[in-house]
Amino acid sequence: MDLINQNLLTILILLPTIGAIGAIVYKAVTKDDSSQRWFALVITTLNFLISLLLFTRGVPAVGGFEFEQNVPWISAIHTNYHVGVDGLSFWLVLLTTFIMPLSVLCAWTAVEKKKTAFFAFLLLLESAMLGVFVTLDLLVFYLFFEASLVPMFFLIGVWGGKNRIYAAVKFFIFTAVGSLLMLVAIIALYYIYAGAVQGSGSFDFVEILAAMQSGKLVLGQQAGMLLFLAFALSFAIKVPIFPVHTWLPDAHTEAPTAGSVILAAILLKMGTYGLMRFNFAFFPDQARETAWIFITLAVIGIIYGALVAMVQPDWKRLIAYTSVAHMGFVVLGMFSFTELGMQGAVYQMLNHGVSTGALFILVGFAYERRHTREISEYGGLANVMPNYAAIFIITTMSSIGLPFLNGFVGEFLIMVGMFESNILNITDSTNWNYVAAMAAGVGVILAAVYLLWLVQRVFFGKVTNAENKKLTDLNAREIGLMIPLLVAMVVMGVYPRPFLERTDLAIKTIEARVMKSAGGAVEKTELDTKALENR
Amino acid sequence: MTENNLLSLIIFAPLVGAVVNWLIGGRLKNELFSSVVGCGTIAISTIAAFMVAFGIGTGQTGALFADKPIFDQIWTWIQVGSFRADFGLAMDPLSGIYACFITFVGLLIHIFAAGYMHGDKGFYRFFAYLNLFMFSMLTLILGDNILLMFVGWEGVGLCSYLLIGYYIKLDEARRAAKKAFVMNRIGDWGVLIGIFLLFTLTGSISFFDKTVDGQHVASSLNVIAQMAQEPFGWGTIFAGGITSIAVLLFIGATGKSAQIPLFTWLPDAMAGPTPVSALIHAATMVTAGVYMVVRCNAIFQNAPTAMFIVAIIGCATALFAATVGLAQNDIKKVLAYSTVSQLGYMFLACGVGAFIAAIFHVMTHAFFKALLFLGSGSVIHGMHHEQDMRRMGNLRKYMPITYVTMGAAWLAICGIPIWAGFFSKDEILFKTFAASGPLGNWAYVLWAVGLATAVLTAVYMTRLMVMTFFGEERFHQVLDEAHHADDHAHDDAHSAGGDEEDEHHALPADFKPHESPWTMTVPLVVLAILSTVGGLVGIPYAVSSLFGAGDVNVFHRTLAPVIVEVGKPHAIAPAGEHAVADAHAASPAAAVPSHGEEAHDPHEISLERTLAVVSVILALFGIGIGWMVFSKEPLRALPKILQDKWRIDELYNGYVVDPITKLSTQGLWKGFDVGFIDGIVNGIGNLMVEAGNAVRSLQVGFVRSYAAIILFGALAVIGYFIYYGLKLVG
Repeated sequence: MDLINQNLLTILILLPTIGAIGAIVYKAVTKDDSSQRWFALVITTLNFLISLLLFTRGVPAVGGFEFEQNVPWISAIHTNYHVGVDGLSFWLVLLTTFIMPLSVLCAWTAVEKKKTAFFAFLLLLESAMLGVFVTLDLLVFYLFFEASLVPMFFLIGVWGGKNRIYAAVKFFIFTAVGSLLMLVAIIALYYIYAGAVQGSGSFDFVEILAAMQSGKLVLGQQAGMLLFLAFALSFAIKVPIFPVHTWLPDAHTEAPTAGSVILAAILLKMGTYGLMRFNFAFFPDQARETAWIFITLAVIGIIYGALVAMVQPDWKRLIAYTSVAHMGFVVLGMFSFTELGMQGAVYQMLNHGVSTGALFILVGFAYERRHTREISEYGGLANVMPNYAAIFIITTMSSIGLPFLNGFVGEFLIMVGMFESNILNITDSTNWNYVAAMAAGVGVILAAVYLLWLVQRVFFGKVTNAENKKLTDLNAREIGLMIPLLVAMVVMGVYPRPFLERTDLAIKTIEARVMKSAGGAVEKTELDTKALENR
Repeated sequence: MTENNLLSLIIFAPLVGAVVNWLIGGRLKNELFSSVVGCGTIAISTIAAFMVAFGIGTGQTGALFADKPIFDQIWTWIQVGSFRADFGLAMDPLSGIYACFITFVGLLIHIFAAGYMHGDKGFYRFFAYLNLFMFSMLTLILGDNILLMFVGWEGVGLCSYLLIGYYIKLDEARRAAKKAFVMNRIGDWGVLIGIFLLFTLTGSISFFDKTVDGQHVASSLNVIAQMAQEPFGWGTIFAGGITSIAVLLFIGATGKSAQIPLFTWLPDAMAGPTPVSALIHAATMVTAGVYMVVRCNAIFQNAPTAMFIVAIIGCATALFAATVGLAQNDIKKVLAYSTVSQLGYMFLACGVGAFIAAIFHVMTHAFFKALLFLGSGSVIHGMHHEQDMRRMGNLRKYMPITYVTMGAAWLAICGIPIWAGFFSKDEILFKTFAASGPLGNWAYVLWAVGLATAVLTAVYMTRLMVMTFFGEERFHQVLDEAHHADDHAHDDAHSAGGDEEDEHHALPADFKPHESPWTMTVPLVVLAILSTVGGLVGIPYAVSSLFGAGDVNVFHRTLAPVIVEVGKPHAIAPAGEHAVADAHAASPAAAVPSHGEEAHDPHEISLERTLAVVSVILALFGIGIGWMVFSKEPLRALPKILQDKWRIDELYNGYVVDPITKLSTQGLWKGFDVGFIDGIVNGIGNLMVEAGNAVRSLQVGFVRSYAAIILFGALAVIGYFIYYGLKLVG
């Protein structure tokens, strides 16, 4: 048990890879291409159960990590295998291990060709994603970040829809260009660190951050901004932030169901996680200075994503565009630099993972039956598939942000946080923080419009299309795999405290780093007094 | 802090009912089981609500009479930094009155529904939704903070959505359901932003001062009440202060309570089953907006600009909806517009500061409007799902109980003395007239419009009664088709719930309407009694003194502590710091004179009496017109523009919905996403291909061109960074 506890994160990362290799070997030996799904299910479920051991330790102290492991990897360039979890990554790791078995299950019968390869790629993807969330060494982080691209590229390119090649290439190009910039920035940081400490360079997140906080490493104005932008662009593409979002609708739509689920539920979070982990910690001043840009883009993304989603004739593409809107909320909350907003942002990452993941799974169910994504091909499904309709409507409500379901808590905290924020105190006459929150609120209205319109067209009315008359309702596997998601939606909506308490300290630390590094705290109280006087 | 766990029972009993009906009822498919669970859980709520409100058997002073609210903290929902939202319930006189009439009227409507929905396939589902609605509505009014109120607020919206769309096969129903949700969502935006602003200004979202887990939670309303009143002026709306909060909250109220400009969903909502119309779209949910305004009266009183807007919107809606109600032929549509109009009265009352009168009208309206809807349901049931009044007539012969009970509601809504509506409507009109101080001459305009609306109300209600219950039998009359398509009376239950799908209810030649079963007539009788005598709890002094009685206005006395005197601490402040020096502590009766609006000035009394006489005369005049015009010619055509509801829906579609859709499709999606951004990416790709071709004739594909872009781009960027890196290090 001790062995597991000490190497917990390593086990989590390695187990899926071992599973993938096992699956391929098994195929090579037995020529059996149909039982790998069981293999994948067992491995991912096991990984989820193991990840529950994360609960055995409490919240780490400020700046610290739990389950930390740090062993040299390539000593010539001082890069280490350094992993650990804190409040920021804790739930993201669990989200990953939680979603993976479900996405294996939703691909149960949907995959028709090269099954072994498909499930092997899913497992490899899990390793890469977990690696991204727990790695504290920049170079290794970059490797995992890139490694997650490859399985996804093939998942889209091989098992995708009609336009899969275009979508896969587009996905690869957008994200690879971004991460190349990040690689350059990582290398630059290495040398800057070496210069600052008069010794060898470092890729270690904790070491670099400590050097920055102690004042040993001071970035120049221009260098800081360039590095910030290099990191930020790479993450912004991943999120994706408007206007670099156009890879997303294609990738989401063309990917097989399991791919879309993972893409929406986990992969996008790598972007927002990266921004919070690296950009805010390393470049607090730049983050503050550019906040207005990110907030503006986030608000545009929220409304833009919603409006474009509204008019999509393709069911899956509609859901894809909602991600642009929802991730806009996450970015908005992060850049409010208030405890409320940032807590909301982290919570919204989880919510989006659960709700949008569930929506993609549900679309997959219909696609598997009818092999079309055109909304106009459907109609009146509630008559023939009542359970499906009920589950879809509950998920819709969660995505719309109905109170007591998960989406509401995140969106609410984000908007309250933006309202409280001082980050946009640019002019005296207008409080732009209020304006940003109010504009984001419009996205909440639009969410109801596009999703309920979808529900109206797909589920309500009479069955007009003869092909829909003989559709069968969800089977036990399908209902069974939705239940954990539905439970998560309710629990996270009704009792968010345990979730928020875990992330609390990490968020406070980041907020303090960003706001206090330039006397932000002082500024804040001054502004508060001023606001009170104005009343 | 007084606590009572019965409050949890009030809200959770219906929730349990909903879950049981959904999970077990869905398997049993037994109507008796579903109706017993549905009605039984509401009965438990009702008993618990009355026990806590009146202090029966709880060993505490009833919430209606206590000087402090009764709490029930359940769990802390969200706590981040200084932000705290509890799942905690509280009952004070305002929520006490609401809880009592909601549970009681709700119970009657549940019983009615057991009869009305008989034979419907989704019987269990219907009761599950109704119970879920009761849970949400009770959460809305019992929530001890504004966020929990908002939870209920959204919850009733969801249930309303599910119930309007209950007959999923009807195109009309699904469209109406979505419209209702979206219209409400627009309003909810206002509430949400209002909550943010309230929290930012006061640091709290609680309605009451309370202590939870040893922590003191301040009342945000108290904080607002102690602030200075904002001056009157349009600029204050956008200043981010109290007026902004008030206006934002009122935007929410226009959505939920169907006021201009967000009212268009309510008439369409009549596509739902009739008990739903009675429960949700007449008696309870739509009055949530009024509840919120009265609950937050501290905010509104400190925001005179917002009060003015509330009064104007309320008054305009009252008149507007009454004109439309005059020309509708679908019996439920008439009642729907009547509801919008009556809600307008309630907001008018709020706007002129007569918050108690508003609540009084909410209560009496719940009685008589629920009765009217259930009565119309009984008529529709008896007429085999015909809703068009042009095909009714002389029903008093066949449905005597329905006729007599609806008659009581008719007198109540017209404002004939002793019936409930008289007292509440009259109080509103008088308070409007008397508000000339703060409003200047606007008060007289508002009063005159209110009076005109009262006349119109009497006319259209008389028209409804005449067309339905009097004159000749028109059951077999064939309507000219153009007309029929125009305001197509949809078939309420059969064509949708069952499998028959005949749109044009061809009634058999020997068709005779029939009276409804007891489950339907008993609620009608009870509500008829309440519509008749329910107003007696709020007899104004001006009337009671005529008979030598003193001040018998129990209603006012009970609610008086809820209305804050701005500039002073909240009337129901904790005794802790302020000692118990407040006047209210002595006895509720002694507290009354301290409220300005309670002083009995002889001049005001005679004014109130005069105005009452005027409005009664005008109501009788309206009934007279209605009777004379429509008993002679029941099918008299009314102006087209009124039949078309002033074409507001067309206006919204043409000027809001269509342009947004067009912009999103052509401008954003096909223009920006596909055209611009992807255009750039693909364009560069193509350029590379061209360049490649020019250099040497290669088979260059899509993938290859992309690879080229990466390479060039990455090289350029890396070069730049290396250059900088070297400069920095070196």
